[in-house]
Amino acid sequence: MELQPWMVLIVSMIVFGIGLLGVMIRKNLLIMLMCIELMLNGVNLSFVAFSKIHHLIEGDLTVLFVMTVAAAESAVGLGLVIALFRTLRTADSDQIQMLRD
Amino acid sequence: MHALYPIILFPLIGFLSIGIAHLMATRRNLRLRGAGVIATIFMFLSFAYSVFCFFALRKTESGLIEDKLFTWMKLGGLSVDFALRLDSLSIVFVLVITGVGALIHLYSISYMHDDETPAKYFAYLNLFCFMMLNLVLGSSLPHVFLGWEGVGLASYLLIGYWYEDPLKVNAGQKAFVMNRIGDLGFLVAMFIAFRYSGTLDLIEFQKTTFPPHILPAFGLAVFFACTGKSAQIPLFTWLPDAMAGPTPVSALIHAATMVTSGIYLLTRLFPTISSSELVLCVIALTGALTALLAAVMACFQSDIKKILAYSTISQLGFMFLGCGVGAFSSGVFHVMTHAFFKALLFLGAGSVIHALGGEQDVFKMGNLRKKIPITFLTFTAGWAAILGLPPFSGFFSKDEIIYQALASPHGSHLLFGIAMVSAFLTSFYMTRLYVLVFMGESRVEKSAEPRLHESPPGMTIPLVILAVLALIGGWFGSPVHLGASSEDGGSLQYAVMGCSVLLALLGAGLAYRKYSGRVKIETTFDPFKIDRFYEFTFGKGTRGFSEVCARFVEEMVVQRVLRLTSAIVDLSGNVLKIAQVGSVQAYLMMMLLAVIAILAWFFYGVGLNGKL
Repeated sequence: MELQPWMVLIVSMIVFGIGLLGVMIRKNLLIMLMCIELMLNGVNLSFVAFSKIHHLIEGDLTVLFVMTVAAAESAVGLGLVIALFRTLRTADSDQIQMLRD
Repeated sequence: MHALYPIILFPLIGFLSIGIAHLMATRRNLRLRGAGVIATIFMFLSFAYSVFCFFALRKTESGLIEDKLFTWMKLGGLSVDFALRLDSLSIVFVLVITGVGALIHLYSISYMHDDETPAKYFAYLNLFCFMMLNLVLGSSLPHVFLGWEGVGLASYLLIGYWYEDPLKVNAGQKAFVMNRIGDLGFLVAMFIAFRYSGTLDLIEFQKTTFPPHILPAFGLAVFFACTGKSAQIPLFTWLPDAMAGPTPVSALIHAATMVTSGIYLLTRLFPTISSSELVLCVIALTGALTALLAAVMACFQSDIKKILAYSTISQLGFMFLGCGVGAFSSGVFHVMTHAFFKALLFLGAGSVIHALGGEQDVFKMGNLRKKIPITFLTFTAGWAAILGLPPFSGFFSKDEIIYQALASPHGSHLLFGIAMVSAFLTSFYMTRLYVLVFMGESRVEKSAEPRLHESPPGMTIPLVILAVLALIGGWFGSPVHLGASSEDGGSLQYAVMGCSVLLALLGAGLAYRKYSGRVKIETTFDPFKIDRFYEFTFGKGTRGFSEVCARFVEEMVVQRVLRLTSAIVDLSGNVLKIAQVGSVQAYLMMMLLAVIAILAWFFYGVGLNGKL
């Protein structure tokens, strides 16, 4: 059976769901960051799929753009996590709640 | 075109230079003795230039010199120029202000000889002259208002000049507040003028005809402003208290110049004012009643300056009466002669007070004619002038007004009667003052007797000059010709003249009989208790209203609304605080739920429309 766009869409949904679940459940900031990357890649997949369905080039172009932004974003995110870890000696999101009060 | 700005420039330079020098000197604890001389020189320069302008004005054909200095303000359709304008009316005031002003500056040098801060005094005096000249030279209502407020400020500063005495400070504040009440009228008049003519230029706006229901409102607003500055009923009570200031100040500001600015304003606006019968009637009646009331009150005073203050109010009433019967030129004529003889009387009183070392009670004077002969002779000239004895100046101007009160188309027998009684009382209280001070037996306290001395030449020279002016000032005739006045009255005029002179002599004779021998000491007595009436109604009323506001409105309304507002904010904060948990994942969860909710709502809505 040939690869159909709807199959890609299902995979994209699963990847996005794993990423979302990870961000919601896991407490380690590094893992959360990786899960955000997963979500972005899930979205990328759906872009490519829709681009194929509708015969449009914009979807593919957006993917390239998202990947660039994701690279920059993960660099900044990692920097923040390291800075947090250095000051608080932890990367557990449950213990970082200073903004509440 | 002729430059006019030097007239106002000289006093301004004087004010600024002396004022700045004073500020620098107080830091080093210096007394600037030369300040008086400099201020006086500036005033004489200004006077000399005014005389020059007077002759230039007579050569012009239009009878008007205009000097535009700069555009003052430009707001939308309104453009106001800072321009000076000289015509036959303003030149009278300019010459009086600079001429009498210069003499009083000269007098002040000697009078304020022992003062601690002469520079401050002379700076204020120059400021006053600058503002007063702006008032009479201004070409637009805002410019006149600038001068109007400026002279009020200078008057306040000079009444409270000896600021260590709380009574004097209070007198200054009273004058200022009373004037502010009147200023309300000026502002309202200005708004009306702008609303209906679109310009504030004094000549331009009077070319428009106001609607008949607006005209009286405008006239009455102007007149209300004048009652404040010119001390008429109902706002006259500040003037007697204003005598707390130094005597030359009383002579300059509260007799010769500032208090006549009301007559200036009325005369300046006479084309508009005189087209309303009601306004003229109110002006005439108020003037006549003020003249009578103040004359009665003057008969019960024992302070030499207060007698003169009430006399000033009374004479101002005469001027208003003149304006009110349409004889604006007679009013202005009386302004001029009054400036001469009342400044003379005040300066004479100052000389008497100076000779007695600060005593102001006329019952502690007496028989001073040999001790201070120059003051006595000059005071006699002032006395004869104010009584209206021919051929002295008061005779011409006052009889003119009394005659117009009867003969003018706006006059009536009532106004004429009140004016006659007031003239009779005038001669009574002035002779009372004159006899008590200069005739009879001496009641001077023994300790003060040896120090009695005639004032120095710096004070007597202005007295002599003013005495000459008070004697001959009436011969020139009225300097302006405005408004309706029946010029030649023939036999009626002579009859009125004869009556008023007879009444004046009768009043003088009565006062002489009563006060020339042994006199019973009278204490000051206020027959009308106007001050207490104002205190009871406006003072107590305002305080009661404030009390109600403080007790009731504040606690029941304002405080409650405030408390309710803060309670609402507090409550909503407490409720929203629950959502603020601090955990990133909790926020993410909320975000997710919100996005789902929005999407659900969106698709549901789209589904309903059946568009997808």
